[in-house]
Amino acid sequence: MASQKYWKGLGELNNSPEFVENAKNEFAEEIPLEKFLGSSSLVENNGTNRRDFLKFLGFSVTAASLAACETPVYKTIPYVVKPEEITPGVANWYASTFFDGNDYAPIVVKTREGRPIKIEGNTLSKITNGGTNARVQASILSLYDSSRLTGPTANGAPSSWETVDKEIGAKLTAIAAKGGAVRILSSTIISPSTKAVITDFSAKYPNTKHVTYDAVSYSGIAKANEQSFGEELIPSYNFDKAEVIVSIAADFLANWLSPIEYAKQYAKTRRVSKEHTKMSKHYHFESNLSLTGANADERYPIKVSEHGKAAVNLYNAVAKIAGALALPSSALACDTSLSKIASELIAAKGKGLVVCGSNDTDVQLIVNGINELIGSYGKTIDLENPNYTRQGDDAAFAALTDDMSKGKVDAIITYNTNPVYTSPSALKFAEAYNKVGLRISFADRADETASLANYICPDHHYLESWNDFNPKKAHYSLSQPSITPLFVKPRHEGTRQAQETLLVWAGINGDYRSYIQKNWNDKVFPMQGKYMMFTDFWNNSLHDGAVEVGKGLETAENSNDAAAKDEQPSVNGAYKKGAKKEETKTVPKVDLSGAAKKIDSVKGGSFELAIYEKVAIGNGNQANNPWLQELPDPISKITWDNYVTMSPSDMKGKYKLMERQDREASVVKVTFNGVTVKLPIVPQPGQATGTVGIAVGYGRDKAGKLSVQTGVVGQNIYPFVQIANGTMAYAALDVKIESANETVEIAGTQIHHTMMGREIVKETILEEYKKDPQSGNHPEMMHTHAGKVNPATIDLWNEHEKSGHRWGMTIDLNSCIGCGACVVGCTAENNVAVVGKAQVMKTREMHWLRIDRYYSSDMSKAVAEEEKIGGIDMYLQMENPAHENPKVVFQPMMCQHCNHAPCETVCPVLATSHSSEGLNMMTYNRCVGTRYCANNCPFKVRRFNWFNYNENPDYVFNPAQDDLGRMVLNPDVVVRSRGVMEKCSMCVQRVQAGKLEAKKANRKLVDGDISMACAQACPTNAIVFGDLNDDDSAISKLRKNDERNYFILEELGIKPTVSYLTKVRNCDTTIEEGKKGAAHEEKKAEA
Amino acid sequence: MDTIFMIPQKKLLAIISFLFLSFLINFNTASAQDAEKLFKQNCAVCHSLGKNKVVGPGLEGVGSRVPNDAWLAKWIKNNVEVLKSGDAYAAKIFAENNKGSMTVFADLKDNEITALIAYIKNPPKPKEEAVKSSGSAAKEEEKGVNPLAVLIGIIGFLVIIIGVLRGVRHTLQNLQNEKEGKPEEDAIGPWKEIKNWMAFHKRTVAVIALFLLGGVLSATWDGLMGIGVYEGYHPTQPIAFSHKIHAGDNAINCQYCHSGVERSKTAGIPTVNVCMNCHKGISKGPVTGTAEIAKIYEAAGWNAEKGIYDKPQKPIEWVKVHNLPDFVFFSHQQHVKVGKQECASCHGDVKVMTTVQQMKPLTMGWCIDCHKKTEVPGMKDNPYYESLHKKLAEKYKGQPITVDKMGGIECAKCHY
Repeated sequence: MASQKYWKGLGELNNSPEFVENAKNEFAEEIPLEKFLGSSSLVENNGTNRRDFLKFLGFSVTAASLAACETPVYKTIPYVVKPEEITPGVANWYASTFFDGNDYAPIVVKTREGRPIKIEGNTLSKITNGGTNARVQASILSLYDSSRLTGPTANGAPSSWETVDKEIGAKLTAIAAKGGAVRILSSTIISPSTKAVITDFSAKYPNTKHVTYDAVSYSGIAKANEQSFGEELIPSYNFDKAEVIVSIAADFLANWLSPIEYAKQYAKTRRVSKEHTKMSKHYHFESNLSLTGANADERYPIKVSEHGKAAVNLYNAVAKIAGALALPSSALACDTSLSKIASELIAAKGKGLVVCGSNDTDVQLIVNGINELIGSYGKTIDLENPNYTRQGDDAAFAALTDDMSKGKVDAIITYNTNPVYTSPSALKFAEAYNKVGLRISFADRADETASLANYICPDHHYLESWNDFNPKKAHYSLSQPSITPLFVKPRHEGTRQAQETLLVWAGINGDYRSYIQKNWNDKVFPMQGKYMMFTDFWNNSLHDGAVEVGKGLETAENSNDAAAKDEQPSVNGAYKKGAKKEETKTVPKVDLSGAAKKIDSVKGGSFELAIYEKVAIGNGNQANNPWLQELPDPISKITWDNYVTMSPSDMKGKYKLMERQDREASVVKVTFNGVTVKLPIVPQPGQATGTVGIAVGYGRDKAGKLSVQTGVVGQNIYPFVQIANGTMAYAALDVKIESANETVEIAGTQIHHTMMGREIVKETILEEYKKDPQSGNHPEMMHTHAGKVNPATIDLWNEHEKSGHRWGMTIDLNSCIGCGACVVGCTAENNVAVVGKAQVMKTREMHWLRIDRYYSSDMSKAVAEEEKIGGIDMYLQMENPAHENPKVVFQPMMCQHCNHAPCETVCPVLATSHSSEGLNMMTYNRCVGTRYCANNCPFKVRRFNWFNYNENPDYVFNPAQDDLGRMVLNPDVVVRSRGVMEKCSMCVQRVQAGKLEAKKANRKLVDGDISMACAQACPTNAIVFGDLNDDDSAISKLRKNDERNYFILEELGIKPTVSYLTKVRNCDTTIEEGKKGAAHEEKKAEA
Repeated sequence: MDTIFMIPQKKLLAIISFLFLSFLINFNTASAQDAEKLFKQNCAVCHSLGKNKVVGPGLEGVGSRVPNDAWLAKWIKNNVEVLKSGDAYAAKIFAENNKGSMTVFADLKDNEITALIAYIKNPPKPKEEAVKSSGSAAKEEEKGVNPLAVLIGIIGFLVIIIGVLRGVRHTLQNLQNEKEGKPEEDAIGPWKEIKNWMAFHKRTVAVIALFLLGGVLSATWDGLMGIGVYEGYHPTQPIAFSHKIHAGDNAINCQYCHSGVERSKTAGIPTVNVCMNCHKGISKGPVTGTAEIAKIYEAAGWNAEKGIYDKPQKPIEWVKVHNLPDFVFFSHQQHVKVGKQECASCHGDVKVMTTVQQMKPLTMGWCIDCHKKTEVPGMKDNPYYESLHKKLAEKYKGQPITVDKMGGIECAKCHY
């Protein structure tokens, strides 16, 4: 056997010269010294040898100890006159409202020593009920964005408000004198007072018109409703009242219309327990795999050109049962499913809801027709209380652009909109814009549009502003400044609230706050009957943040009130006074067959592009926010990029499939209408074949400093949007995709996509659950000398004592929609560092809380057994997610606070230990960075600070490195330094604070006193936190009574503190059955 | 910059001497003391003894301004009545002072008012002299001899004596050798002699060397352990604020100024407006006169002559005395409000400190020691602790339930 030759690599076998050379070195690979030292000159130009090193070492040790003898002097500078409400060290909370023309959320703002540090949802709001999303949570960081302008600019040069006001005033007067056209272009404004300001402004400059343009438009719905009901409005949707939900490409949990509201409503219908086994059934048709599609019970991938056709065929299927006339249509692959869905919709009459993400008026007309047939109006769709948050009028915007290019517009004022970046290329907005004589922008930074303007008059951030909001009929909310404007005299010229600026130009004195008060006194106050005095009403509204006046949703069904309702004064001028209720109830006399014919004539190309919004970046208005850039996309788990998603079966043989944890992606050129972008292409299981998806909101080169520090993130895809049928179409039906013959690395946080046959996420189907509440959650039994036993009952260690508190967390996987609001909430609360794309690629992201997303695989142990596939092949195939239409599960994963934690036993310095309250404590100042704990953690939730992200110049984009950005840090949580491990602390600072409040008040701690940052951010209340030693706490009851409760990797004997509730799907077949079915079909196909 | 090497004893001597002196003076003015107290309690908030206006006019020379003492007494007792009676002078000063009415002091007894008037007419001046003399006394004390210098001096003196004695012994030996006809002994250097001695006393040398080594090691250890420990730190503050005068002599409650102590994690440095609550009226201190209080006025933007705030405000940059590292979370409210600890247990007897000094090491060992020894005083009556207390009482039958027994020395109680 001695003659046998062994080698450790092909290099050694071939004995290549490089190998021989490298073999002499201690480390075969090159040591990245230069990278470590940060400069190559340090390596090359110094003669430092070991002796010098020792000398330096000795010197610095002595110097350090000598320096340590001198007491460092810390100054402490108290206020001269302390504001009454501020006590240093105690947080103040202010109710306010977030609305950026896209998301609407009443919030409460936590301020410390006068600076906002955290945003939480306002539970008093009847619309969002305390829900937030990632963009709302992250907006706090946008306040401290040092890319914001600190004063007005005139032609690119800093100016003063006096000069700007004088010059603009003179120019506007001159324009008004000659009867020139002034246009105000804005995203949706839901502030009644702002609208009043615009009216006042128009009074001074009579030829002023206000055009509303939304980057992502919903005008198709409004237009369709105008045809159907004679009123151009967007209704309120009540997902909570729906038992059968059909969505055709409407991503209503993440982006569509009012996602926070809908997520809250949707979760209500998804929560099950033994007592309440009713659950909504959610069908989803789409091309890209969206967050909503991932949560659907049944999902059907269809081509983009088929969206409208699916609606028509669903209409026909419903009409067939309801006895209405059929519309012209052509057959689709999903027709059988559609007729099944139709029968369910009819069966659940009045409790069904069909929504569609298309912005095409015809498609929306068909959807209105379906909803009419299934009796949704007045039940799941509320026309009486329209949603005002999307008022964009695409046709008006196109007309405005046309006027501008023809030189018919003399002055344009843009407010909260960035059309140069977001408008379709066909409109050539930038060219038209430059033809306008006077261009004024209220943007807070010199963005793509504002940088072309003559004057930028920067608006306050919303946290510095007064404003009012009317998101829905009868719902009002207020925002109030929670900080003195950051940029004020004398250091800066300062920002100024846009409304005040308009008032100044309109020649009206007084501040905007009194203006709002007056407006409310005149219009909103008379609508309510609770308060006698306006001051009381105002103070209470301001305190609560959100108010409901007059007749709200609760009485909408009561038809006797309808007449009274119609007489309510409408502050919101966007909608004409509606037609009478009787008319809205009649069957629409609309030409549906004409619409259907138009839909039927749509033809798709070889590749159809569906343009979508991502959960983090949305329409791109917060593109300069590093928290959002680093938040992984819930589906693809990719950060810091947009990309082309394509079905793996379409990619096979052409592009890199990124299997086996490969980060390298092919780059492609996507061309449409003469516009080409170069983007990486990533395989997306579940993407309909023949379609691709690309997200908007990227490629912003003038978003702020981030584009300088990290390079421009992604590519802008807005130019691909086209105007069809009078509305924006977020699809391109024939895009050309060709390889660019390059590859690029993708910063994904999760590069393994399946559970490899393990039950990390347990799931069952509703039918099974009804029979056996423990279905899908039978513990894996362990072989012992005494036979098979439940591993939960075996213990190597003694149990912990049960005195005082014992904190626990339970996450309902049925409610969790995977949106990532919790991740940003955690980042803000715990000063989690942003590490950037390069570090994410090295799996060094610092998020304490991540959301694992798993796809189902076609291979399972059962299938392997049946088909006699060997172990290795089985596992290899298991790694691949099902290409066509995988089931998706989301699982928030953070430190599980194991009661017998593997990390604790291996720490050589006892930096991580267990508290008497059941928390796994991490002591940064004790940690020496061995990383043993991270290696021993079965959940891989520990994060190591590889660099000093707070000082190292390679990470300048980390907010903590910016003088302004630093102000967002939570002063109750340490900013970690290089070389220490960190992880979820179970918001121990909140726990301690909550306990202290109870102690101070001489009372017992009540369940609900303490909430985690992730739990409060969650729009679906999926996370429950509480004291397990308190028998009356919600969590104790949940764990005792719910058979769905399970612990991950319980069989390891680590006794986690965090538990999960089995996911229940309301579908007909289990995944296991589905797999077998798929395997059979494949076999048949092969045969 | 102040360092920990400053020795506080000197100051203590100065304080004692100052106390002694002022005590003597106080004896002499014992009769006026009640009046002074009365004045401080009732009048000082609005009136100064000098010329400057606070809320009401300054009282210097008031005796010659008012019609007579009887009028003044009436005015003090119930100025409203005097005004009502249509007194001309009363109407005049009422108009002069923006028609702001003075508080009515119906409770003051006649003899008290007489004493007050006497006090106002002859405000105590000798205090300033006392200050001066005590100040110079303190300075003289400061020039005291450094003990280290004395020690070095003594050692130096002994070395010289040894040297001289060696010389004498050598000379005498040579004299004797000369007498006995022996050759002259070579002059051995002191170093060589020590070496010789060491060669003959190896065991002693070894023992001494061991002791020396031990001493060096222990000194190094102590030195290293002392890094970052600033016990005794007492920096010079931008305003020579004396806790002794405020908390000691005037017995102002700590929480009057450090109001955050029961509400927040920080006790809080009082803001200047808190100082001004009293110092609007008190513009002259017993030690530094007007110099230091003028600094408060400057910070607050207070115009002492006009009695209004019309100057720019300048925040005071105090030097923090008690510093904890960033990675420690310490909450005053937890300790003071819940744990019912005295301020003095960590800050020492601030009432006698002219300059505040860090009295405790503020190390983790010190924290933990205390947590291991201290029972939680508020625990028994606080419903929050009810069940925990019951369980712990059962577990540690009869033993005191100290902070550590309820998890008070766990890492995440202070580090997060």
